[in-house]
Amino acid sequence: MNKETLFREISHALVEFEVEKVAELAEEALKQNIPAYETITEGLVVGMQEVSRLYEEEEYFLPEVLMCSDAFNAGLDVVNPHLDRSSLETPIKMVIGVIEGDTHDIGKNLVRILSGASGFEVYDLGRDVPLDRFIEKAEEVESDMICMSTLMTTTMDGMKTVIDRLKERNIRDKYKVIIGGGPISQTFCDKIGADLYANDASSAVRKVKELMGRA
Amino acid sequence: MLIREDILTPKERVLALLTGKPLDRIICMPIVTTNTAQLIGKTVKEFQLDGKVMAEAHIAGFKKFGYDLIYLFTNCSYVAEAMGAELDYSENEPAGCDVPIINSREDLSKIKVAEKNDGQFPVYYEALEILNKEVGDQVFISVCFSGPVSTAATLRGVEAFARDTYADPELCHILLRMATDSCKNLIREIASYGAMPIILEPIASGSLFSPKMFDKIAFPYIKELVDLAHELKALIPLHICGKTHKIVDKMTDTGADVISLDKCDLAIAREKVAGRALILGNIDPANELLFGPVEEIHRVCMEALDTMKGYTPAFVLSTGCETANKVPFEHIQAMLDVARSHGLYEYKEGE
Repeated sequence: MNKETLFREISHALVEFEVEKVAELAEEALKQNIPAYETITEGLVVGMQEVSRLYEEEEYFLPEVLMCSDAFNAGLDVVNPHLDRSSLETPIKMVIGVIEGDTHDIGKNLVRILSGASGFEVYDLGRDVPLDRFIEKAEEVESDMICMSTLMTTTMDGMKTVIDRLKERNIRDKYKVIIGGGPISQTFCDKIGADLYANDASSAVRKVKELMGRA
Repeated sequence: MLIREDILTPKERVLALLTGKPLDRIICMPIVTTNTAQLIGKTVKEFQLDGKVMAEAHIAGFKKFGYDLIYLFTNCSYVAEAMGAELDYSENEPAGCDVPIINSREDLSKIKVAEKNDGQFPVYYEALEILNKEVGDQVFISVCFSGPVSTAATLRGVEAFARDTYADPELCHILLRMATDSCKNLIREIASYGAMPIILEPIASGSLFSPKMFDKIAFPYIKELVDLAHELKALIPLHICGKTHKIVDKMTDTGADVISLDKCDLAIAREKVAGRALILGNIDPANELLFGPVEEIHRVCMEALDTMKGYTPAFVLSTGCETANKVPFEHIQAMLDVARSHGLYEYKEGE
């Protein structure tokens, strides 16, 4: 199998969430001495881009994205140890979490999955995250972005608090603040002065790339 | 805006609708539940665990607004709780299930089909008894509960459940079966109090599952609940949160009497439901109702009424989901003001 066919097979198997097949094909790529970087960017990532498209077009939903993400990770586990890190461009760094008081993390996890698959460096703080933790982590890892999610109206004001605290510390401009979740809207985004609102995980990744000039 | 006094009681109004008689105003049923606890100075936790508090809070809410339905509801996990899941109760948030009880098939021995007195079910019965006595002559009362998909997903964890739909469908169906039987036991009790059971399916949402998956994991089980309610001569609404534009026809195919919508274009719903059920919705409780101002709430309510003008059997003005504690009461009042001043049907006294 030539390289192009192999990459096509990898992305195809990924989209069909054939976990074992993706791992086998990734092994095959290693055997053929194909650089891990290429297998990732031209096979696995291309597959996840298709998944992302299918999700945005409402062909794929939560179960399909999770299954594809398992296939993506299975492939990544095989080639990652062989990855020459110097070949990577500086990734977009993102700190992400669900606001304190809320444990609904499906949306946040989808953003983590799709942005990770787009090559972002994602620091997932999990759910029910204390508000200062977003800022501390962003400072610590020199993140480009702070991403916050919530499904509950009771916790959405936490997003504003994080933005206010960034302002108090005079570091608001260091970060792009991205928000999302069930009750969140563009109106709310404008109201609290966040940089970006997205209404699903796939468009979140697309809009972030545009915002960061990586589209 | 001329706000007229009601002529009929909410109960008379709903009965008039069901029997094809004229109404004094359009029906308005905002989803006001746990937030009524604030009216009597009680916490969410007290409301969820004490039927007397629940009843007292709802009486206060009903007296304040005079809406057309009382919705008893505590949290999305109480059926799972009655089956064996453990919930975390905090003072001012609805209880939730943080750690799923089913992590493998072996854990199935930890759960059972809920019987009528399991978990916090009796809290509802106590509240129903009081409410029937105090306001039952004036207004219909309903009990909202998570349906089979949402309950099964709570037991298993939503993401694990989602993966199972491909990786272990058999486990999905075992959980769905047990959840359905638990819901049926609850429905029988609700109906015995003359209350209306309302199926909530936040997890069977079109935001999470494909229409195809809805057919497999949601439709047959929800239909079973609808059929049981009908056997018991009860009306049964179906509420699904989030996006529903691709499943609103399937929701109607279950036979549910009221299709209660969240983020769904009403024009699409109108076309798909096509007179087969009442449509209830869908003022956004996280946007207009939360932020106002009152004029904006009037505007979106009017817009919904205009879109649904002439829809039969009827459009019920409501919220797209539960109104949270933070939704100002004046904003809920604004919805009722619209109902009391707009969209009046011809009403002649004595008819």
